[in-house]
Amino acid sequence: MVRKMDFETNPFTLDTPGILTLQPAGKEVQPDEAGIYISRLHKSYHTPAGSIQALDDISLQALPGEFVAVTGKSGAGKSTLVNMISGIDRSDSGQVLVAGTRVQSLGEDQRSRWRGLNLGIVFQFFQLLPSLNLVKNLTIAMDFCGRYDPQERRPRALHLLEQVGLADHAFKTPSEISGGQQQRVAVARALVNDPPVIIADEPTGNLDSHTAAEILDLLLELSQSGKTLLVVTHDRGVASIASRRIELLDGRLQ
Amino acid sequence: MDLNARWEKILHDIWSNKQRSLLVIFTIAIGIAAIGMINNTVRMLKRDLFGQFSERNPASIIIYAAPFPESLADGVSGLREVELAEVQRSSEAYAAGENGAWMRMNLRTVPDYNAVQINSTLLEQGSAQPELRGILLERSAASALDLDMGDTLTVSLDQEKVSHLVVNGIVHDMTIQPYSISEEINAFVSMPTLEWMGEVPYYNQLKLVVADGKKDRAHVLDVAAQARDRVIEPAGYQVSAMQIPGSDGEPGEFWARKQIDGVLLVLQLMSLLAILLSGGLVVNTISAVLVQQVKQIGVMRSVGAVRGQIVQMYLVYVLVLSVAGTLLALPLGLLGAWGLTHVAAGFLNFNVSQVDLPPSILLLQLGLGILMPVGVAMFPILSGTRISVYDAIYEYGLGGGEQRSRLESMLLRLRHLSPPMLLSLRNTFRNKPRLAFTLVTLVISGAMFSAVFSSYTTLKQQIRELGRYVAFDVSISIPGGANRRTVEREALRLPGIEIAEGWGTTNGFILNADGSESDRVEIVGLPQDAQTVQPNMVAGRWLQPEDRGLVVVNEDLLIRQPGLQVGDSIVLKVADTKASYQIAGVASRHMTSARVYMTLPEYSRLTGRYNQVDVVRVQATPGAFNSPIQQEQLGQQLEKRFDDAQLSQSSSKTRSDILSSFAQAFNILLVVLLMVAVILAIIGGLGLTGAMGMSVLERTREIGVLRAVGASHRSVRQVVVFEGLTVAWLSWLISALVSYPVGWALAGALIYTALGTQAVFRYSLPGLLVWLAVVTIIGVLSSLAPARDAARLTVREVLNYA
Repeated sequence: MVRKMDFETNPFTLDTPGILTLQPAGKEVQPDEAGIYISRLHKSYHTPAGSIQALDDISLQALPGEFVAVTGKSGAGKSTLVNMISGIDRSDSGQVLVAGTRVQSLGEDQRSRWRGLNLGIVFQFFQLLPSLNLVKNLTIAMDFCGRYDPQERRPRALHLLEQVGLADHAFKTPSEISGGQQQRVAVARALVNDPPVIIADEPTGNLDSHTAAEILDLLLELSQSGKTLLVVTHDRGVASIASRRIELLDGRLQ
Repeated sequence: MDLNARWEKILHDIWSNKQRSLLVIFTIAIGIAAIGMINNTVRMLKRDLFGQFSERNPASIIIYAAPFPESLADGVSGLREVELAEVQRSSEAYAAGENGAWMRMNLRTVPDYNAVQINSTLLEQGSAQPELRGILLERSAASALDLDMGDTLTVSLDQEKVSHLVVNGIVHDMTIQPYSISEEINAFVSMPTLEWMGEVPYYNQLKLVVADGKKDRAHVLDVAAQARDRVIEPAGYQVSAMQIPGSDGEPGEFWARKQIDGVLLVLQLMSLLAILLSGGLVVNTISAVLVQQVKQIGVMRSVGAVRGQIVQMYLVYVLVLSVAGTLLALPLGLLGAWGLTHVAAGFLNFNVSQVDLPPSILLLQLGLGILMPVGVAMFPILSGTRISVYDAIYEYGLGGGEQRSRLESMLLRLRHLSPPMLLSLRNTFRNKPRLAFTLVTLVISGAMFSAVFSSYTTLKQQIRELGRYVAFDVSISIPGGANRRTVEREALRLPGIEIAEGWGTTNGFILNADGSESDRVEIVGLPQDAQTVQPNMVAGRWLQPEDRGLVVVNEDLLIRQPGLQVGDSIVLKVADTKASYQIAGVASRHMTSARVYMTLPEYSRLTGRYNQVDVVRVQATPGAFNSPIQQEQLGQQLEKRFDDAQLSQSSSKTRSDILSSFAQAFNILLVVLLMVAVILAIIGGLGLTGAMGMSVLERTREIGVLRAVGASHRSVRQVVVFEGLTVAWLSWLISALVSYPVGWALAGALIYTALGTQAVFRYSLPGLLVWLAVVTIIGVLSSLAPARDAARLTVREVLNYA
């Protein structure tokens, strides 16, 4: 069942002008740090063929520790939603508060750093750096954010690879392992800086059913460990294990 | 060592694309090596050539006078303004060559070879003091004629009586032109040897070094005039000429100083071009790297990298390549400098003391080699990393939604072209900034390449222009002079000779308004309607038979006597006679000496030698010149005829000899320029290779689609090679347009600095055609490797490219 944001009871009142102006950009506004709160989000794209309303007045929340699956047909606006939450793309209007930060008010660099520390992303096409081995693919994310002591990074990366069952492949490059293994590395990378929020865009979209099931197990574990998890998917399997399912149709919540 | 992941990524990127990395490294290396080579050569030339020259204490001026004793030098050295004065005897002589032909020789004699302080020589082998019946040879002549210590040389002062002299020393004289340029053997004998050869012992030249103002031409002339007026002439020795040595009469300067400065200037400009081009290539390549890695940039930013970190990474990327390029450039530049300096040393006859890399040039190369690429790469790096994470991750590689330019739409309408060809044409114009840069690189290379050819053609034309003043097949001098009618009749008796002209020539001075005198000017008396001169008048008019009191001067004279113009009066002094003339016209540069032309009657009045001429100039066919071989044969016949008639025993000069000696002097310069043009062409080729590689890389998907719809390896290769050729030919078209002004500027600058005269520009069409061939080869070669890469791509790889 879709649960829209309850503006009457939720302390997060982004749409209340008076409160909004009191909150400096990028600062924590509420104690619900690990959650995702979206209010009246709009996004349209302009193409030579005309304007496309990708997201139309979306308000939703994913509470800390919640595993939310966002489903919908191709073109429903799922990836756009991920890009809004992760700060990869900018909204036309509306507010997005993730892990206590108003993402859309941050500059590009601030968003990058914020993302690195607070949000783990898993892409459909894994997006690993092809020239680095798996360990380095993980340590580079810690390195960029200055997270952990340099001496700690490598053991941590190895530990995470072990957690996703890839300790034996730690020193291979992405092209030397399978797609499913690459997606597991991507999950491990999403976790390296220990972010409170993980979002995944079609994490099983490119995998066979057996491998997809493995990734689902991993995601479930994450959710159980207390991370807020928002997964955009076509996969009924993912939707079935999520604690909540949100469906998008033509940019609107159903 | 556990390298930081960021730097490991960069090193890996460099290593994994060796072809591109090497391209950048070589480009930087060539640019920086060119800078090092040229600047180091300039430094070594200044150090060794000009340094060694001034160590020889060059004479400020040489005074030619009637036979005088050694003691005259003491009197002149007594003058406060004179630092040093030395006497020498200079005799025109001849040495017998292998085939019995006489070679011109300047035989000098000084009182004490161990005490020479002016125009001093360096002993290379044997004894510094010529023995009795011995001779010291200047090294450039000794090596050109393959003469060694102990060899015997047959020498004659009059081509009649011969003396056999043994080479007992080889010396190096930097103050005279080497044998390869002057084609005159410089040698030294002792006075007793000269007496043994039948000569009267006397001296005829006084070398002076002034005390102050050594580079001040007016002062030097003034000091020489004082020496003449206060010491030499009061002592009873008539001064016939005073001459400042060197091509342009600048005291204390090396004889080819201006020409060398001109070449060095052009080389420095070329090295600047090389560095500009290689800088541009770095920009192009780094832009391509960023295009290729835009998705990776997006990924890195999505996991927390801020823009500054990404900028840092790519700067390190450039830094690594520039350090490698610079390290490669250092030995290459030094090697180039070694080669270039040794070529110059061989040509100009000086010693290279040491080939080294001084800190200043090392720093220049390090600074430019490291800072330039990093500096220029900042622009693409800053703009390439400005992309939003969204665009970086999602927009890359789609290639859709591009606005077609008018040009592309036009190309699409070319329906009769085959699809691969059409694709190549479209591809060419797709990335316009890169196309523009590649074109600029190739156009600069092409324009310089054809400009060098045009400079050569212009120089040849300039030399032909000089030929206006030697419009004869053969000339022969008549020492002491002879009756004009006699010599002309004698010459015309030779079968095949149609024109014979007797000219009077003598040395004189121009008396300036302040009473000072110019240095030596050549005064020429022309017969009526002289045909062996075809003057190019830059001002005024040529002489008319009825002219009285009128003269024509050449531009060479105006360089020495600036301010003179048509209509001005000049006072000429020959021996004791002075006469005033009005300048009727100025003839173009002769590249010889300052010259004043007047009619033969005027000349006779001035010199007091009526109907006497000093040279006869002959021509076989009016309006046409004989071939060099025919001229040589004619010269020999003329020599024999005049010898038999007891008119002259001098050797003849042919027109082709005179002109080719000028041409030779410039050939080396053109070889060096061509070398630099080739370097520019290599850089242009590297630029195109890089651009083609990037082009293939960016269109991996399109190539995959071509393969998927059945394109063969060959068709894919054709698409790429044709694209390379399109760029190459397009660049050629633009080069063709700009090659005229660039050639005009280069040739003009070159001729002005080297010859001090305005060039009559001649465009070289063959140069442009050669460049078409070169650029076609560059186009094919540059696209072969990228074409091979493109053809290798499999459909599967391409589908994974997303």
